[in-house]
Amino acid sequence: MVAFIGKSVSYLMPILAFVVAFEVFCRYVLSHPTVWAHDTALFLFGYIAALGGAYVQQQRAHINVDILYNKVSPRMRSLFNMVSFILALFFVLLVCKMSIGKFEEALKFNYRRQSEWAPHMHHYWLMMSVASGLLALQLVSDWVEECYHLLTGKQLLPENIRHTEEHA
Amino acid sequence: HAAEYNWRFANLYSRGTAFGAVYEGLAKNIEVMSNGRIKVQVLYSGEGVGSSGIFGAVKTGLITMGAPFQSLNAGELPAGIVEIGLPGGTNDVGDLSTLFYEKGWAPILKKAYGEQGLVWLDPYIQPAVYVITKKPINSIADFKGLKIRAPGAYGKFLRNLGASPVSLAWSEIYTSLSTGVIDGSIGSNMIDHRDGNHVEVAKYMYPLPLAGAQVLPIIVNQSAWNKLPTDLKAIVKAATAVHAQEQMTKSRLWESQAVADMEAKGLQWSPEPSAADKAAWKAAGAKLMDEYAAQDEYSKELIDILRKDQAND
Amino acid sequence: MISIEVLTGILFVCVIAAFALGAPVGLALGGIAMGIGYATWGEALFNVIPTTLEDTYFSFILLAIPLYIYMGQLLTRSGIGDAMFNASQMLIGRVRGSLAISVIVVCSMIGAMVGIIGAGIMTSGSIALKPMLDRGYDKRLALGVIMAGGGLGILIPPSIPMIMFASSTQNSVGRMFIGALIPALITIVLLIAYVVISCKLNPQRAPLDVAPDNPPTTKEKFLTARDGLLSLLLIIAVLGSIIMGIATPTESGAIGVVGAMILAILFKRFKPRMVQKAGMQAALLVSVAMWIIFGASVFSNFHLLMGVQSMVAGFTQDLGWPPIVVIMMFQVIMLLLGFIIDEFIIVLMCAPIFTPIAVSLGYDPIWFGILMILNIEIAVQTPPYGFALFYLKGIAPPGITMLDIYKSITPFVLIKLLVLIIVMLMPELVTWLPNKLMS
Ligand code: NA
Ligand code: NA
Repeated sequence: MVAFIGKSVSYLMPILAFVVAFEVFCRYVLSHPTVWAHDTALFLFGYIAALGGAYVQQQRAHINVDILYNKVSPRMRSLFNMVSFILALFFVLLVCKMSIGKFEEALKFNYRRQSEWAPHMHHYWLMMSVASGLLALQLVSDWVEECYHLLTGKQLLPENIRHTEEHA
Repeated sequence: HAAEYNWRFANLYSRGTAFGAVYEGLAKNIEVMSNGRIKVQVLYSGEGVGSSGIFGAVKTGLITMGAPFQSLNAGELPAGIVEIGLPGGTNDVGDLSTLFYEKGWAPILKKAYGEQGLVWLDPYIQPAVYVITKKPINSIADFKGLKIRAPGAYGKFLRNLGASPVSLAWSEIYTSLSTGVIDGSIGSNMIDHRDGNHVEVAKYMYPLPLAGAQVLPIIVNQSAWNKLPTDLKAIVKAATAVHAQEQMTKSRLWESQAVADMEAKGLQWSPEPSAADKAAWKAAGAKLMDEYAAQDEYSKELIDILRKDQAND
Repeated sequence: MISIEVLTGILFVCVIAAFALGAPVGLALGGIAMGIGYATWGEALFNVIPTTLEDTYFSFILLAIPLYIYMGQLLTRSGIGDAMFNASQMLIGRVRGSLAISVIVVCSMIGAMVGIIGAGIMTSGSIALKPMLDRGYDKRLALGVIMAGGGLGILIPPSIPMIMFASSTQNSVGRMFIGALIPALITIVLLIAYVVISCKLNPQRAPLDVAPDNPPTTKEKFLTARDGLLSLLLIIAVLGSIIMGIATPTESGAIGVVGAMILAILFKRFKPRMVQKAGMQAALLVSVAMWIIFGASVFSNFHLLMGVQSMVAGFTQDLGWPPIVVIMMFQVIMLLLGFIIDEFIIVLMCAPIFTPIAVSLGYDPIWFGILMILNIEIAVQTPPYGFALFYLKGIAPPGITMLDIYKSITPFVLIKLLVLIIVMLMPELVTWLPNKLMS
């Protein structure tokens, strides 16, 4: 599920680039800028950035400072992860809660972007709720995995779930 | 002694700017007039909330008081666009004051803001919106096809004149004017044009303003407001009235200073528009009223009053 | 009510602790701010999340990040990046460190396209890191060169922090852009000099290509030159689109993406799978960068709402020191702020507080602004908290640890510190060119 969303998001990348390039084309060649490209590009940017979060966590690709972390034993590392995942989970759950609140507010007051095109905002907050919700679930699953490893010294899941995609 | 109420007050200007100092003055005044019972911490541009976030942040109570710019919140409170002044509206301070306090705008706006959990305090007036261009505009026809950075209502207005409005981040205006991505840009006011250094890369100011005056509110979070006793409410109101007066006198002065600064750097005015140009300018504004009235209930109420007012003139 | 000094101390300790545990940087910063914020402020503080989210995710300026990263990924995965460096190596010849030198040159060109640090480092990293590691370069040299070169994005015009400085202190953007040119040139020359000298002293750092058994045929040479020329055209196209007013620096990233795809088709390397993989990797990196920026912004917004800016303003009062000492103290304060605050906030916060004082002491505001930019360039590259460090970690292959990165930057940070000091002592390096060209 997480990987599926992560992969789907990657198809938004070329679309984002073409939207921006299309706006440049309309403005420079046709002398007729669009009203929608600016907001569409920002929406796509937000969708890519937010929805990718859970997949990044699954790949354990969120940036950390691994100086001490790399020096301790694997089981100690699991303990470290359990502490930091709780901290991260706390933040991500708040993001989810606030996004749901904003989603309801956006529906109630019919919130839109301030631009001339004025697209709706509700879908964006719904997406944020889903994105942070998925990231929270991934964090919980990773936490359980780390806990299992701390207690038993064994991996709960086979290693090949991770690093399915080689890094550049 | 510790204050009874600790308020945070956010505005759109940077620390040390002339406008920033006026908001600082409002904060000081509230503290002094309340005898220290209310303490107000001023937050400048980018200090904790972004410029378009002030509205939402006051609404939720993250900050207590704010001086937002309604165009940035058009998607949240459409009536604010009518309140600030649709392009082509009056710049007569007396007219504006009667419009708000005698002809019925104030109660409508109080209700519109109130519905969103905001207390609408005395609005104040900031100077006119002008458009700067790289080439002189000799007649309205010269606007045709020009790419001008102008958001929201100002963009629609310029489109009615045949120009092509462009959306750009404020911090990209300078580079875009200099390389020619755009042919012109509006600024929130003359001071904004000067601070953005636009005259270095575009020399011509069009003499007709897109909006003769901009009416901006001070807003307060409703539940924070309700916690104040009556005497302190009166004090905050009195302080905002003083602030409105100060904005008026000082901003006029700063506007003329900004124009002088820019003229020293080579700013020129496009030639005086003809009578036909002035009429076309007005017509472009009139078209907008229908459009905005159709979009939102509160906007419609405000515009109906405005129309009745103009019919009587 | 807790004082801002104590609060800053607590935040700092928490950040260090979370970093030591190896917590995900952005999420941990957000979590710390919300936890401590809840204790000192209450539930209302949580509302900082949606406003910050809208601010960071709806920033058109930051849109340069996904566009440039995607361009970088396309160039790497299609092999165009390699072609570019092969040709430049053929041109420079068999000099030790030649690849690192061409990386610095390419980074400078990228610096002339982008206006923010993140886009500079992530693009340079995407394109140049792999070729250097593949050819057996010392990883510290490789990482350091990327970091130092990518950071040039805010020193070489166009530069968003310079535009912000100029507008918040009412100075000329044009003068700043021109004033930055000589310091930028000095930086580039010193960086290249360092690479040449350090490779001479320590030849293992930059192996020469193994001499091929058969020298390349004329045809091979021709192909290398052609590929290099085509990829150079791409850089010219992107730069040209900015200079000719076709696109803004942000949008030019999209021109680069389209250009890279066209090149890939010309090179017959265009495969749907390549495009999909580049998109995948770019999306991953964008997400990594944006969750950091978002969490860090929540953190700094909380800190700002609590009044850290008044603490900074407080530092500047009651000064009875000689002017140059005051200037130096400002630099130290900004470097220290770089421990927990990002580049834009430093400019927004310090420019209006410090610049009037510097001017009243008789200094040129443009010079002071350039010092600030040089300073920020260092601040974002110094541990523990530095966006440039996080971006670089994001782009680096899995085997590279944060410690590698910390170690890699040391000589390069020293070079930038040297530039800062040179410019501090010789204001003419900044003021001469704009005076010459603009008065
Ligand atoms: Na640049
Ligand atoms: Na730092």
